[in-house]
Amino acid sequence: MLTRKEDKKVIIIGGGPAGLTAAYELNKSGIRSEVFEKDDIVGGISRTVNYKGYRFDIGGHRFFTKVKVVQDMWDEVLRKDFLLRDRLSRIYYRKKFFNYPFEVKNAVFGLGIFNSLLIVLSYLRAQVIPIRPENTFEQWIINRFGYRLYKIFFKTYTEKVWGIPCSEISSEWAAQRIKGLSLFSALKNALLKKPPADKNVIKTLINSFHYPKLGPGMMWEKVREIVEEGLCRVHMNSGIEKIYWHNDAVLAVETCKDRTTTRISGTDFISSMPIRELIAKLEPLPPSEILKAGDKLNYRDFITVSLIIDKKTIFEDNWIYIHDPNVKVGRIQNFKNWSPYMVPDPEKTSLGMEYFCFENDEFWSMSNENLVDLAKNELEKLGFAKKSEIIDGTVVRMPKAYPVYDEEYKKALEQIKEFLGKISNLQLVGRNGMHKYNNQDHSMLTSMLAVKNILGGHFDLWKVNADQDYHEEIKENEQLDKQLSDLSSTQPLIPSAFAMKKSSGSLIEKAIIRVFSRLDKFAFAVAVGTASFLFLFLATIFLEFKGDQNIVQSMLLLNNYFVGYDISIKGAFIGGGYCFLWGFISGWLFAYIRNLSLGFVIYKEKKKLENQSLKDLLDYI
Amino acid sequence: MNELNEDEEKRLLTEAVKLDATVFGLILGLIIGLIIFIATNWLIIAGGHVGPGGEVIIGPHLELLGQFFIGYKVSFVGSIIGFVYGFAAGSIFGTLISWVYNKIIYLRNTNNK
Ligand SMILES: Cc1cc2nc3c(=O)[nH]c(=O)nc-3n(C[C@H](O)[C@H](O)[C@H](O)COP(=O)(O)OP(=O)(O)OC[C@H]3O[C@@H](n4cnc5c(N)ncnc54)[C@H](O)[C@@H]3O)c2cc1C
Repeated sequence: MLTRKEDKKVIIIGGGPAGLTAAYELNKSGIRSEVFEKDDIVGGISRTVNYKGYRFDIGGHRFFTKVKVVQDMWDEVLRKDFLLRDRLSRIYYRKKFFNYPFEVKNAVFGLGIFNSLLIVLSYLRAQVIPIRPENTFEQWIINRFGYRLYKIFFKTYTEKVWGIPCSEISSEWAAQRIKGLSLFSALKNALLKKPPADKNVIKTLINSFHYPKLGPGMMWEKVREIVEEGLCRVHMNSGIEKIYWHNDAVLAVETCKDRTTTRISGTDFISSMPIRELIAKLEPLPPSEILKAGDKLNYRDFITVSLIIDKKTIFEDNWIYIHDPNVKVGRIQNFKNWSPYMVPDPEKTSLGMEYFCFENDEFWSMSNENLVDLAKNELEKLGFAKKSEIIDGTVVRMPKAYPVYDEEYKKALEQIKEFLGKISNLQLVGRNGMHKYNNQDHSMLTSMLAVKNILGGHFDLWKVNADQDYHEEIKENEQLDKQLSDLSSTQPLIPSAFAMKKSSGSLIEKAIIRVFSRLDKFAFAVAVGTASFLFLFLATIFLEFKGDQNIVQSMLLLNNYFVGYDISIKGAFIGGGYCFLWGFISGWLFAYIRNLSLGFVIYKEKKKLENQSLKDLLDYI
Repeated sequence: MNELNEDEEKRLLTEAVKLDATVFGLILGLIIGLIIFIATNWLIIAGGHVGPGGEVIIGPHLELLGQFFIGYKVSFVGSIIGFVYGFAAGSIFGTLISWVYNKIIYLRNTNNK
C-alpha cells in the first residue's frame, strides 16, 4: 500500500453530496481525486433543476444537522448565500390546512363537531382497548391516535409514499422513527430542566432551517468549482460501467462517455452509487449469492412535476402534505417560499408536485405530457389554481430516491457488507451507496470519515447513524483521539437540553434507575411486616422480664386492637403476628402507592416524549 | 449508546429497585429520632398539668419510653437522649427492612433465572 499522500489517487463514484464531500476533504488534505458522475448535473438527489429560470429540488431539501463538521462545511462553502428560513408546512385535507408539527387540538377543531366527536371516541376506544399485539404500523398509530385520526392523517400519506398498505408495514419501523429520544433522556430532561435559553434553541431548530439561496444544487455546484480549482477532476456524463477488482483490492474503474470507454486506475475508491448497481458492475462478477443479495435491495422512486403558475401567492407554506385520497400527489413544494431567488419573476409561483412510485410502474412510464396534465388537474381539484392559470410544466424522474427497508434488505446488506469488507481499498458512502435512508449530513459524514480512513484512520462507516450515537462513541474512543483532533467538532449540535455529558450522564442514569424503579410490593410488605414483628416481639419479651407495671398497663392497651395480646411469651408471638400483618399491609400499600405515583410520572414523560416525536412523524415517513 | 439506553429503559420499567440498607436505615433512624425529639420538646413547650400531689406532670405517656430507652425523660436533655435512641432504633428497623427486602428480591431473581 502506498503511504505518501502525493502518490495517492482516489476514484470517487457519484457527484452527489457524498462524492463531492469526499472530493472536498481530499482536496483539503492535498490528495488527488477524480469524480465520475453519470448525470449532467451534480448534487445527486440534492440537485437543483433549473427550468427556464425556475429552480426546483427533488423534494425540498432542508439543511439541518446535528453534526458540527457538516454544518461548518455548509457555512464555509455557502457563506452569505446560506439563508435561514422560517419553516411552515401544514397538512392539507378537505381543502383545509392543519397545523404541522401535528397538534391534536387543531386537528380535532378543524374537522367539525361531528367528526371531532368521532375522533375523540375512537381515540378513547384506542386508549381503553388498544390493539394487541401491536405488529403493524397501522396498529401502532391507531393505538396512539385512534382509528379516525390515523385514517385522516397517516394512512393516505404513508401509503402514497411507500406504496404499501400500512397494515403491511412493521410497527418496529414506526417505533424506530419515533425513538428520537429515549424515555430516559426525557426523564433526565424533566428532572434537570435547563434554563429557557435552550428552549429557544430547540424552538429555532424546529421552526426554521438553513437553505442555499439558489437551492441545494448551489451548494454542490460551488463544491465542484472549489475542488476543480484544486486537485480534483469532475467528469460529468461519465457513469461507471465496470469496477475491476482482484483478490482484496479494486484496481480500476471503467467509464463510458460518448460511447468511448476509458479505464481509470486509482489507489483508493469511494463509491456512492447504489449498492445493487455496484455489485452488478464488479468485474469479475462476485459469487452468485452476493449478486442475489444485491438484487434484494429495493428502492422507491420519485417524480416531481414542476408547474409554473401565473399567480403571486398560492399558499404560505414551504411545502404541504396532501392527505386527500382522491389525488395521487403526496406533497407540494412551493419553491419561492424556500427562497425568493428560486423564481425569476416574483409575480409567478412554481410548485413541485411530488409523486412516489416504483421505477417502471404504470405511473413512472407515463409520458411527460400526461404527467404534467395530471398534475395540472390535481392542482385544480385541490383548489389551488385554475388550469388556465398554469402556464408551463416539466417533469423530473428520480430513480432510487428512497432505499427500501423491507424484510429482506437487512440480511442481504449484511452479506454484501461482509463480501465487500474484504476489498480493502473500496469504501461505500452515502445514501444509496450504503442503502441507508438518511439525509445529506449522514452522506457527508460518511465521506469525511472515509477520507480520514484513507489518511490512516480506522472508522467503521457503517456505524455512522443519522443520530448522534456513533459520534459520541467516536469521541469517547481514546485510541482514536489523535486522528480525531480534527474531528473533535463532530460533537453533535443538538439542542443542549438534550446533550448531557456521558460521564455525568451515567451517574444521573444510575440515580434515575434507583429512584424510578419499581419497589417490589411483596418483598417490601414482608420486610416491613418482619421488622414490625420483631419490634413488638422484642419489646414484649423485654417487658416480660423487666415487669414494670406502669408500662405494662400502657402496653396492655394494645390488646384493644390485638385481641389476645398480653405481656408474656405467648403474647409476644400473638402481638408480633398482628404487627406482621399490619406491617405487611402498610408495606404493601406504601409500595403500591409509591409505584403508582412514580409510574404515573414515567407514563406522563413517555407520553410527552412520544407525542413530541409523533408531532413530526410525517417528516420521517 | 442506543443499546445502553434501551437496556436502561428496560431496567427502569421492569427491574425492582434494591434498597440501600445504610441509606434506608439512616433515613428511618433520622425520622424516628426527630419524631421523638420534636414530640418531647413539643410537650415541654406546651407545658404539663399539676398532679394530685402538686407536682408538674409533663408527658406521662411519652415518659414510658424511658422503660426501653434507659435515661430518657421528657426534658430537653431527654429529647436529645431520645433522639439518639430513636435514631439507633430507627436505623436498625430500616436496615432490617432493607435486608429482608433485598433478600427476597435476590431469592426471587435467582429463582426466576
Ligand atoms: C424527496 C426527498 C427529500 C429529501 N429531503 C432532504 C432534506 O430535506 N434534507 C437533507 O439533508 N436530505 C434530504 N434528502 C436526502 C438527500 O437527498 C440525500 O441524503 C443525499 O442526496 C444523498 O447523497 P449521496 O451523495 O449519498 O447520494 P445521491 O444524492 O444519490 O448521489 C449519488 C450520485 O451518484 C451518481 N451515480 C449513480 N450511479 C452512478 C454510476 N454508475 N456512475 C457514476 N455516478 C453514478 C448519481 O447520479 C448521483 O449523482 C431527501 C431525499 C429525497 C428523496
